[in-house]
Amino acid sequence: MSEKVLEIKDITVDFDGFCALLNVNVNVKRHTIHFFIGPNGAGKTTLLDIICAKTKPTKGVCTFYPEGRGSVQLTGMKEYKIVGEGIGRKFQVPSVFVNLSVMENMILSLKGNKGVWQSIFFKLSKQDEETINEILETVDLMDKKDEKAGSLAHGQKQWLEIAMQLVQKPEIIMLDEPAAGMGKPETFKTGEILKKIKEICTIIVVEHDMDFVKQISDRVTVLHEGKVLIEGTCDEVLADETVQAVYLGRGGERNAEDN
Amino acid sequence: MIWKKQGYNICFAVIVLILALMPLFLSVGMISSSSFVLFIGKCMAYAIVAIGLDLIWGYTGILSLGHGLYFALGGYAMAMFLKLQATNGQITSFMQTGGMTELPLVWKPFLSTPLAMVLTIAVPAVLAGVIGYFIFRNRIKGVYFSIISQALTWAAYSLFTGLQSYTGGNVGITEITSIVGSIKGDANRAHMFTLFYASLAILVLIYMLSYYLTHKKFGKLLIAIRDGENRTYFSGYCVSRYKNFIYVLSAIFAAIAGAIFVNFNGSITPTQMTISYSITMVIWVAVGGRGTLVGAVIGAFLINLCDYSFSSGTMVEIWQYILGAIFVVTILFFKGGLVGIVRDQLPELTRKLKHKREAN
Repeated sequence: MSEKVLEIKDITVDFDGFCALLNVNVNVKRHTIHFFIGPNGAGKTTLLDIICAKTKPTKGVCTFYPEGRGSVQLTGMKEYKIVGEGIGRKFQVPSVFVNLSVMENMILSLKGNKGVWQSIFFKLSKQDEETINEILETVDLMDKKDEKAGSLAHGQKQWLEIAMQLVQKPEIIMLDEPAAGMGKPETFKTGEILKKIKEICTIIVVEHDMDFVKQISDRVTVLHEGKVLIEGTCDEVLADETVQAVYLGRGGERNAEDN
Repeated sequence: MIWKKQGYNICFAVIVLILALMPLFLSVGMISSSSFVLFIGKCMAYAIVAIGLDLIWGYTGILSLGHGLYFALGGYAMAMFLKLQATNGQITSFMQTGGMTELPLVWKPFLSTPLAMVLTIAVPAVLAGVIGYFIFRNRIKGVYFSIISQALTWAAYSLFTGLQSYTGGNVGITEITSIVGSIKGDANRAHMFTLFYASLAILVLIYMLSYYLTHKKFGKLLIAIRDGENRTYFSGYCVSRYKNFIYVLSAIFAAIAGAIFVNFNGSITPTQMTISYSITMVIWVAVGGRGTLVGAVIGAFLINLCDYSFSSGTMVEIWQYILGAIFVVTILFFKGGLVGIVRDQLPELTRKLKHKREAN
């Protein structure tokens, strides 16, 4: 439980003079749901971009500690290779393949050889099909299997994208605002899905919705203006005065409006 | 039900059937001139290049405005081979005019039949592979890719018109007899029919190969790249490798098409390398219907049939404007082209009409 799976060390990102992240150090532990929260522009999404190599850091390294293998330095790798190592990413905007069916979306996301020839001569094995069915069951999309992903509701698209991460059998999945645009019941259901997933992998989440954080978080890191403000359990973080000042004050207002 | 599942294939089969009957129509006199059959032969070449364009544009979302380059390269390679057959390996008249006394080195491989056939496909394929490697590895896409593809075609055009003693310059390589012998005149009809059916067979093979590819996981992946390139990278695929693969494949199709075209046309000129020629190819695919394969074939035949009928007589002046207008209207209102109209818009219209009738 206490073993670390990801180490973010001294990460600094400088976008032409604007420091999106400054000396960020975070350790993520295996089989936990680790939240990154903070006001807009705090650098949460940038941090995810760094981990999956969409953005190159100015300084610092990310190291991945896979189970039963030696450590892998993620900084400097190609993004599709990082996926192969076992780190999946869900984007803020639901980005499923709208013109393909739910099943086809899942097939494309399967773990395995992703070369050109392999795709041409690909045949779905019984075992893979079972895996896909199992995961679709988990996210409650089994009855939508043959529908076009584009015709799904917003929440279902988010779940499909989570399912697409799972079928790659990742050790870490990163979710950028998985509950964005969802109503309360849908958000709650997403939380329950994530709790189930926690058994098989580590989850890193960027999120605004504090109820969602309270529901499922094991560990919370608060970012503010590119720096780590505080890290701890949800209760510890909520009790901190600075956090209340910079973030929860505004978050509280927003939640009040929602209610 | 079968129509829904196999509609495209049925359409293609009907087209093939009509094509297969063409020589028969000519024999019984339903078609008066053999030049029309020759023209249909050229259309088959156009259909092949259109299928290739559909693979990269319709399926993968890469708009190439320079496929005329590969079409022409295939055409030139075939023409060089056929020209040497006609001159018995002697130097051509344009080489003599250019002051040459013996065959230039680049022409020598085309003395050998197997080597010439290999080069017809290999030269465009390797060129496309190298160009694609650098373009896609550097993640150049969208309109930037289109502009580069156009610029390359323009560069090649300048090169081919400039090197007169090697390529025949503006005139190109002319007075070629086809690979099966002369196809002109009634006496050589057997030759023409052989060429015609061989080309038809190639068209069918290329359609079947493309159909196979697009219905495997590979094809789904092309659509995935079109709809969400980033997502595809983050699903663990090296997108640039896939793009390069399909780019090379479509270049090969274009080269084969060019080689067939030369056989029917009897000459190749740099006109086939102009940008407007490449853009016309894109219009075929757009008007026929992107992402369906059969749409590309329909578009290639239809636009060229119109071109054939209007390029003589009173319509010749305004035909180009009409063609342009058709393209614009297609892009703006009928994204699925003709196939899309039959597949999407017509059923919707009939449904609406039904509703109206029921309401009344």
